[in-house]
Amino acid sequence: MAVTETPPETVAAAAAGHDSAPRLSATGLAAVLGSGDHKVIGRLYIVASLVFGLLVLGLGEAFAVEAIAPATLDVFNSDTAYQLFTLLRVGTVFLLALPLVIGVALVVVPLQIGARSVAFPRAAAASFWGWLMGAILLLTSYAINGGPGGGSENGVNLWIAAMGLLVASVLLAAVCLATTVLSLRTTGMSLERTPLFAWSVAVAAIMWLVTLPVLFGLIVLMYIDHRHGGSISIGGAGSLYGALAWVFRNPQIYVVAIPVLGFVADVLVTTSGSRMKLRSVAQGAIAAFGALSFGAFLAVPSETALESPLTVVLGLLAVVPLLAVAAAAADLFRKGSFKLNGAVVYAVAAFLTLLIGVAAGALGSIPGVLEVPDGSSVNANIFFLGVTHAVVLATLIGALGAIHWWATKIGRAPANDKLGLLAPVVLLVGTVLTITPDFIAGIAGKGVETAADYTGGIEGLNVVGAIGVAVVAIGLFVALVGLLPLLRSPDEDVAADPWGGQTLEWLTASPPPLGNFEGELASVTSAEPLIDLREEK
Amino acid sequence: MAADTALALPAAAPPARPRVLLVGTALASGATIMAFAGLIGLYVAQRAAVLAQGGTWLPEGTTLPLTPGTMGMATMLISGVTMWWAVDAVGRNDRPSAYLALGLTIMFGLAVINATTFLYTQMELTVDTTPGLFIYTVTGAHLAMIIAGLVFAAVMTFRTLGGEYHGRDREGLVAAALFWYATIAVYSVIWYAIYVTK
Repeated sequence: MAVTETPPETVAAAAAGHDSAPRLSATGLAAVLGSGDHKVIGRLYIVASLVFGLLVLGLGEAFAVEAIAPATLDVFNSDTAYQLFTLLRVGTVFLLALPLVIGVALVVVPLQIGARSVAFPRAAAASFWGWLMGAILLLTSYAINGGPGGGSENGVNLWIAAMGLLVASVLLAAVCLATTVLSLRTTGMSLERTPLFAWSVAVAAIMWLVTLPVLFGLIVLMYIDHRHGGSISIGGAGSLYGALAWVFRNPQIYVVAIPVLGFVADVLVTTSGSRMKLRSVAQGAIAAFGALSFGAFLAVPSETALESPLTVVLGLLAVVPLLAVAAAAADLFRKGSFKLNGAVVYAVAAFLTLLIGVAAGALGSIPGVLEVPDGSSVNANIFFLGVTHAVVLATLIGALGAIHWWATKIGRAPANDKLGLLAPVVLLVGTVLTITPDFIAGIAGKGVETAADYTGGIEGLNVVGAIGVAVVAIGLFVALVGLLPLLRSPDEDVAADPWGGQTLEWLTASPPPLGNFEGELASVTSAEPLIDLREEK
Repeated sequence: MAADTALALPAAAPPARPRVLLVGTALASGATIMAFAGLIGLYVAQRAAVLAQGGTWLPEGTTLPLTPGTMGMATMLISGVTMWWAVDAVGRNDRPSAYLALGLTIMFGLAVINATTFLYTQMELTVDTTPGLFIYTVTGAHLAMIIAGLVFAAVMTFRTLGGEYHGRDREGLVAAALFWYATIAVYSVIWYAIYVTK
């Protein structure tokens, strides 16, 4: 199939070698729209998802303000509240977190494993344009009174179709990323020697391929049902979002954050300046976290699914791999000499946020531990929204940190490290303020459906949440300002390896050329080929 | 800088030819199987819920004859043999046999599409009922999978005709075969879950 072929420019660059590596003559818009270069596609994903992310964050702030006093601060009327509530949930995952992670992965993973290109570059480009079209159609569907609770039949159909397009595009990107790691590693790079970020992306992509097709099948079913009158509950206008809600809660939501662990491990091991002794532990833990994030079984409606032994076990065990990664990283402290930089702070902030979310998810999974006054489970009320918020924000912090860390590979120049030190701290504070009211309100039994406009929670405490979302917005603003240098041409040559890196992406020029590497790569003999090179010198 | 030291070591031997298409196809096949697992899981759960309440799953007057489904199952199994034959023939550089085997596989695939559409005309079930929705969605999605598999096999046939694949390199054909086997596996589950147990 044509889509499986490597596009001409990257094949030529890969085959021609360093002596005659061609440079594309296409410039301007043509070089962007028609590119099969994984770096260009990844950058498009990053920019577009951040633009949509600002919209999502603004919507989140509006809901947080409404939640302070729903009766008096009538930001949304009852007709639009449910619609925008669903847009917020869908947007955080499919318009912000997932595409942002995919964008970073598309740029970095082929460089890390010494590949000349991503696998199936045209498919990767198709995934971006399909995702962008899906995102635009999704927003359009809401604008024409569609969405899961919309009054327009065509609008609702458009919403379902847009969701299908978004999921299919993510799946296409997942095939490209997983195949890249599994098939295109350079000579000598066994799976055990795969850089931890690339490894985590492979695990995440495989988990997306295992779970999101179930969502896609459900969407197809919903579309056909809605087109023919909605004979079953899945197609009923009020339950469209409910049928998809399993994607936005634990354990399924953890699949979004798997690459955060790889980023954290990569940054910490590089800044330690030493080899990671417990590398296999870290790899195993990332794989285990991926396996424990399998939540597709919740797609089959069941009143008891959240209390089932499988849900409890998955929720409880999910915290163990995080602790294992922390242990592997902590071991570096014994021999390594850490240098504090923005990426390290990002990594620590992302890890702490993820740990809070997953630990809360574990506590909420155990029946009877967090007892709600009415005897119900916190796992089914606003408490789990706190878990979701924590995981999504951990992904956002991790992805911003990854852009900061690989700035010279993703952009044209290094990011501002002073702002890089500040932004993650602000984001972490904002995240804690955002999720704490959810947890407290959940334990108090204030379910998300208690308010007619879907704000829920405890009104007085929701002030803290609103402040938290505002602080997150400030943190995002600081982070984006810190990343602005990536867009401008540097005054002087940018160092290929500003961090004393260990893996192959730091071997190539900044920014990387078409075909990624100018020369032939030497055979990789360990997980830290650049340390090997320095030692041989 | 590290970039300068890259050339300090002798260049590595070229990596073994990456089986990109085969790996990508395996991942895509796995994802497709998961999509059907979800759909069939929902079908079984929905049917079990109706039966547990003492109801009947298929509406009165609806028939779901087993014969076309079983014929489709047998045809799919035979197509698996012919696909294996094609892969084996290309491995032996036996082009005439490969063309014949791929042609037969495509013909069998078309026969299954024919059998399924014939079944649609027989079962008098509308899509606006719950069983109809599930049955048409699952079997219709599988028809789409068959068509995708046939297109994949046809492209690989043309490439084999063009001399791209031969005894030492038959990755594309193996990939097409892998997807086809996944199609057969999914059909076997549909056959049991929908046509046999109804």
